[in-house]
Amino acid sequence: MNTRSISFRLVAWYAGLLAGIFLLLCAVLYLDLRHFLENDLRESQFRRARQIANTLLAHVKQTGEAAVASQTKDWYEPEINDRFIRITRTDGTLVYVSEAPKDGSFDPAEVPLFPPAPRPEFSRKLKLSGGNTLLIAALNFKSSGNPDYVVEFGALLDPVETMLNHVFLQLALGLPLAVVIITVGGYLLVQRSLKPVEQITRAAERITQHNLSERLPVSHNGDELERLSISLNRMITRLDDAFQNSKRFVADASHELRTPLTILRGELENIAEDPRFDSELRNRAGSLLEEAEHLSRIVEQLFTLSRLDAGEAQTEWARFDLSELAKTTADQMGLLAEDKGIAMVCDANQPILVEGDRARLKQVVVNLLDNAIKYTRANGKIQLRVHGVNGHAVLEVEDNGIGIPRDALPHIFERFYRVDQTRADGSESAGLGLSIVKSICTAHGADVEVQSAVGNGSCFRVKLPLSKG
Amino acid sequence: MRILLVEDEKKVADIILRGLKAERFAVDVYHDGQSAWEAANTYNYDLIILDLMLPRLSGTEILEKVRRKNQQVPILILTARDGMADKIKNFETGADDYLTKPFAFAELLLRIKALLRRGPVNRSSVLRVGDLEIDRLSQNVRRAGKKIELTAKEYSLLEYLATHPGRVFSRTMIIEHVWDQSFQGLTNIVDVYVRHLREKVDDAFSVKLLRTVRGVGYSLDDGTQT
Repeated sequence: MNTRSISFRLVAWYAGLLAGIFLLLCAVLYLDLRHFLENDLRESQFRRARQIANTLLAHVKQTGEAAVASQTKDWYEPEINDRFIRITRTDGTLVYVSEAPKDGSFDPAEVPLFPPAPRPEFSRKLKLSGGNTLLIAALNFKSSGNPDYVVEFGALLDPVETMLNHVFLQLALGLPLAVVIITVGGYLLVQRSLKPVEQITRAAERITQHNLSERLPVSHNGDELERLSISLNRMITRLDDAFQNSKRFVADASHELRTPLTILRGELENIAEDPRFDSELRNRAGSLLEEAEHLSRIVEQLFTLSRLDAGEAQTEWARFDLSELAKTTADQMGLLAEDKGIAMVCDANQPILVEGDRARLKQVVVNLLDNAIKYTRANGKIQLRVHGVNGHAVLEVEDNGIGIPRDALPHIFERFYRVDQTRADGSESAGLGLSIVKSICTAHGADVEVQSAVGNGSCFRVKLPLSKG
Repeated sequence: MRILLVEDEKKVADIILRGLKAERFAVDVYHDGQSAWEAANTYNYDLIILDLMLPRLSGTEILEKVRRKNQQVPILILTARDGMADKIKNFETGADDYLTKPFAFAELLLRIKALLRRGPVNRSSVLRVGDLEIDRLSQNVRRAGKKIELTAKEYSLLEYLATHPGRVFSRTMIIEHVWDQSFQGLTNIVDVYVRHLREKVDDAFSVKLLRTVRGVGYSLDDGTQT
């Protein structure tokens, strides 16, 4: 699981916060309940102690202590009700003490005498040897004309403890369960609300310059993601417009440039071929014609590039043997290499089937070979290899020519880039050949890379997906 | 032979007009679509050269109208638009040929002659230029009776030049016919092959057949052709 994803962080925060709040609430609830139950028990003991004091001890003079003891026993039946009742005089001598309850939960004899107390009423908790706890409310009874007594009324705290334990157990089990339910629920909820994000991401990845007319899915539920996808779609529309504009610009420029070039060439051709003009003039017109043709070629190459950018390479898609293409092309260009005294070796014996626009891919081979011939000295060697590696067709053009300087390597596929800016090599190329190679490769989903060292030569490698058929 | 030339760019029209007149064609020139269509509707032309981007009526519209009325007349489209879709659409509408600007006039002329099925289209199996003989069946080349060994490409180049002796072929035309579109960027391939061809065909003889016209191209010429 990706711990940096929004869904993970959101759910983690949410579950953590809720767990904290729940824990706090449960603690407050538990402590409050405990306080309330103990208080309630203590209050009821005090009430009964006061009852004994006010109804029986108030008349002890008339009735006598023995009557008080028997009355108390009759009224409260402490042995049956699991109560502890003791009435003592202030000197510590007993007037009455209840007997041990029938279930033997405690022994009244164990309860130590009431220590001298400063206050008229107070309570204490007493841990007994049997493991039970007794809550005892004590009352100092004073009244004019009567002797002072201490009335103690006690009850077992254990039912309260049992109940509190039960509540504690419920909370201890319920809390983690609640947190688990909340986490799972929250995760599902977040996943559901983030699902459009996933869809938008996938749709956005599909959109390239070739399908800019496509748009991202819009959820239409008025949420933030709807706004996001609408904004992104507007951005794509603006990109699409800009792209269409530049394409239209190239189409317009194509027309605008071709017409004057036609005129230029036509007029020059007329002069160059008209025998009425003297040979010097015709020669100069011919020289200009060469330049006009050069200009036409650059214009054509630029249009080729812009058409490739616009994704027009897919017009004549077919399956063919790359080895056969390499061999015939090498054969057609053999004389160019031979003319410079360069040995050209073609190693393409295995049929390697690929899919693509054959004429365009041939252009790749032609441009790479032309490049190699141009930058290899006499008696050099050019190797053209085609082979299949790991589901890819690889075409390599390796020469032992002058090589490419290290700082020029990243730029050689850029338009109009020339390693030798001075054009000292005497070539009339405009520096578009390798850009065209790159664009054709891109349109075919192929990679082109180069390795080179000055003085040792260069190796261009085109990696193309093999035909799946 | 009467040709209708429809081209809104006056200078381009002028160049073509002069070239065609030099070849002894009768040419009517119109610079807008509407009057061109009226002319095409009125006279019987042997060939129509049509630009696509025209004021008032586009070339494609004229093409449709002419084809509805007259199925026969050959129509050559001359345009600066070279998109595949444009080409296919116009061929489907009934164009017979398609030439993209900028073009060499020599190529336009060759295409016109091919469409009119006239001019020196030699169908015999042996082409002759001076004392050079090219047997198209056996692909044997002899000069003054002596056999010359040529590679396949050298042979194609020589045969292409020999189809119209005296006519200058531009490098672009040669590349398109002997190689293919992929070689368009490297014109020196033609120069290299012509040089090698020259070594084999001309070097041993006093009369040189392979002629270079600077800036224009090459021709095969024994001096007797115009």
